[in-house]
Amino acid sequence: MDRLTLVLWIFDSVTGLGLLLLAGWALASPQLFRGIILFVAFSLMMSIAWVRIDAPDVALAEIAIGAGLTGALLLAALSRLGDSEPTQESMNRPIERSYRARTFRSLTASLLAAVAVALVFLILALPGDSEGLGAEVAASLDASGVSSPVTAVLLNFRGYDTLLELLVLLLALLGVWSLGGLPAQPVSPAVLVLDTLARILIPVLLLSSAYLLWAGTHAPGGAFQAGAVLGAAGVLLSLAGWQVRQRYTGVTLRLLLIAGPSLFLAFALYTIVAGQSLLEYPPQRAGVMIVLLEVAATLSIGTTLAALFVAEGPRNKEGQ
Amino acid sequence: MQLFNLALGLLLLMTLGGGIWRALRGPSAADRMLSVQVFGTAAVAVLLLLAQAFGQAALRDVALAFALLAAVTAVAFVRRAWAEEVDCDPE
Repeated sequence: MDRLTLVLWIFDSVTGLGLLLLAGWALASPQLFRGIILFVAFSLMMSIAWVRIDAPDVALAEIAIGAGLTGALLLAALSRLGDSEPTQESMNRPIERSYRARTFRSLTASLLAAVAVALVFLILALPGDSEGLGAEVAASLDASGVSSPVTAVLLNFRGYDTLLELLVLLLALLGVWSLGGLPAQPVSPAVLVLDTLARILIPVLLLSSAYLLWAGTHAPGGAFQAGAVLGAAGVLLSLAGWQVRQRYTGVTLRLLLIAGPSLFLAFALYTIVAGQSLLEYPPQRAGVMIVLLEVAATLSIGTTLAALFVAEGPRNKEGQ
Repeated sequence: MQLFNLALGLLLLMTLGGGIWRALRGPSAADRMLSVQVFGTAAVAVLLLLAQAFGQAALRDVALAFALLAAVTAVAFVRRAWAEEVDCDPE
């Protein structure tokens, strides 16, 4: 048992030290591509750290959205920077270091340092022996309609947070579209290897997305993780040169994008009209409502993430 | 057995150091990309070992999600960031 503690202690020290180093290198990297690579590595290390502090839900979200989808998004964004045809030089292009950039950097750094000091102060001011809200959540878990405490908090007890998160995601896509999106990239036909990979991987991604969604009701998983995997399927399809038919990119695409937020809003209205407070589901129907919400939210999140990756304007859109 | 799994996990975590070194040094973008893919594979293995050590089945889902998404990231790199290099690189 003693040796076990020692191994765990070393494990946690290596993870913590690795996190700090990776974060520092990723931020300080003069080459954007190297920064992205280090960010993905940081995200992976972070999810191991989340596992170690017993938060597998956050680890799953971190690894699916942080390391997986954001990595692909950043790579695609980098390839669109400046030259339309990126080369080795453009990928290793150093960041501009003008006087203004330096002033901005030092301003940001001091602001972040102030936030960090405030956070440390707050953490030190917290009561050390507090139980947190865990016991309260566990006590009212039966009324929530699901057996996973994290899903109960995200979709029932603090449902409005999740509603606002969905709206933020939608707003991000609307922002990209409002700026006109990016011009369509020339679609080169996929080589055989990529084509085969897409054919094998897409069904697995869809199945895993459905599985994560289902798992969310009783174990780590849920709409955001399932949506990220679904979005990854859309990203892979788009990378393999697959395009959505024109007639599905109008109303159908928009309906998919707003399915999650609008169902959420409808439930919010329903609960208010029914005489309860905002998003306070009736306990006997809470389970069904949460599953419906999760399905709609997964579809919307997946579609939004894929559309963000494609990043083309709504006129000449492809995407999921 | 728990100690064995955790020790193996720690060993894998240590080998990531080599991966990070390659990600920092490069020199080519493909070197860095491959190093982070190795990093991902090792992280998946560490997660599986942790799942075994603590009996937390949910960690296998985390490993599954990343194993799937790592392939997508690699494709994104090859198709979007590396396309030019493949055409003109004789290797």
